[in-house]
Amino acid sequence: MSKWMLACGLWCASLNVQALDDPWIVLQKTAFAARELNYQGIFVYQNGNQMRSVQITHMNHGGHELTRNIVMDGQPREVLSQGSDIVIYNAQNDKVVIEKRRGQNLFPAMFPTNLDALKASYEAKFGVVERVAGRDAQVVELVPNDSFRYGYRVWADTEFGLLLKMILTSSSNEILEQIGFTQLSMMNTRDIDWFQPKIDASKSYVMEDAAEVNHVTDNWVIANLPPGYRKIDHIMIAVPGKSVPVNQLIFSDGIASVSLFIEPIIKGTRPKMGHKQVGSTHICANVVDGYQVVVVGEVPAETVRQISRAVSFRKQALVDK
Amino acid sequence: MKEQLSALIDDEFEISNADHLLIAAKSNGELKQAWMSYHLIRDAMRGNIPQCGQMTGRVMAALEDEPTQIAPAAAIINAAMVKKPVYKTSRFWSVAASVAAVMFVGLMLFQSRSIDENALNPIEIADNMPTEYITAHQTYAPNSASYYVQDASFTEPR
Repeated sequence: MSKWMLACGLWCASLNVQALDDPWIVLQKTAFAARELNYQGIFVYQNGNQMRSVQITHMNHGGHELTRNIVMDGQPREVLSQGSDIVIYNAQNDKVVIEKRRGQNLFPAMFPTNLDALKASYEAKFGVVERVAGRDAQVVELVPNDSFRYGYRVWADTEFGLLLKMILTSSSNEILEQIGFTQLSMMNTRDIDWFQPKIDASKSYVMEDAAEVNHVTDNWVIANLPPGYRKIDHIMIAVPGKSVPVNQLIFSDGIASVSLFIEPIIKGTRPKMGHKQVGSTHICANVVDGYQVVVVGEVPAETVRQISRAVSFRKQALVDK
Repeated sequence: MKEQLSALIDDEFEISNADHLLIAAKSNGELKQAWMSYHLIRDAMRGNIPQCGQMTGRVMAALEDEPTQIAPAAAIINAAMVKKPVYKTSRFWSVAASVAAVMFVGLMLFQSRSIDENALNPIEIADNMPTEYITAHQTYAPNSASYYVQDASFTEPR
């Protein structure tokens, strides 16, 4: 009799496991939930010794995503996004500087909807169920396949599927960065009057000069990228204090991203060299054939170092492409 | 072949196989010279060179016999100076060329050093945080949650 009960119990357990047998589906659900649900809450972001609270309101209004993020600590900052267009209001002493950006995967939409790239570089495993922001959450561990990326621990809301919390862990399981809701609620309203910045009439509003991408010169070869990393973007940016625009190439393995900066060294300036870590961010600076190469990313030191070494220059003058 | 010859003189070569060396040493100029040099070297190493001690004495004696001259070349140089202006002498031009060459090389070294001083003296980023790059990374890279954490100092120059 007891044997029969045990067998029955095992069968029930296996059913339960089958319903949740793929942790990747849980991660993919977080990607859709973050973009499709209407919610508001407060999340905290911590990296190294820095911490910020952010108030978020998100709504999917007839297929258009509207988000407003208000940074509650430090410099007043509001981030309004509509689809992939992002407008940032930076309140400074006597003015508000408006910046425009495109296509960021902002919290809680940290994961892309297509996880194929991630599957090549990480293994996903189920963890326990824990409470986060007063809600039950399924833990999923993303374990890297090699030493070129950090590990992630993800808490996904068991009811709505939304990403509630995420931490970045080093190979020695040390927490490098964390971001998570402390309070979250679903919205029932269809009203979008919240989708506007707080206007301070006493300040002038200044548009930040957008960096013009007129031509992209590339006489370099990036031969030996760490496994799993692909180039996802290449832009020319104006860096404050620099007379020439700087090339910024962005690489990603699906979740971790690394920026590679390339610029010619101007005569009479001292190049930068060396390595530094700030929180989860590693920076590596190198000089290659008269070019300054700087690599920045929330990835292990080995990854930024390998990318900085992967750059070589073709022997030719800079030619407009 | 010279190595074999050297070995032969030192009795380290099978003499029955050395016919070719002996023939060559008799006929070939270079090998004959080597044959003689090696013998001289061997003799010197064994202290068998008899005239060695007398050499110094012979040279000193020869010097004693030389008549003493005071400023022997002065008269000739004076004659040459009268005949030609300074800039027409080959000596002037060779000195001028040397000076120009030294100045040119010196200038090049000086210039390259002033360039290298910057290149060889890079800024160590561990001491001097490259905030402009971190800001750019956080601003444009996707998935960057640190978007919210930009320091006041990061955004100041904008």
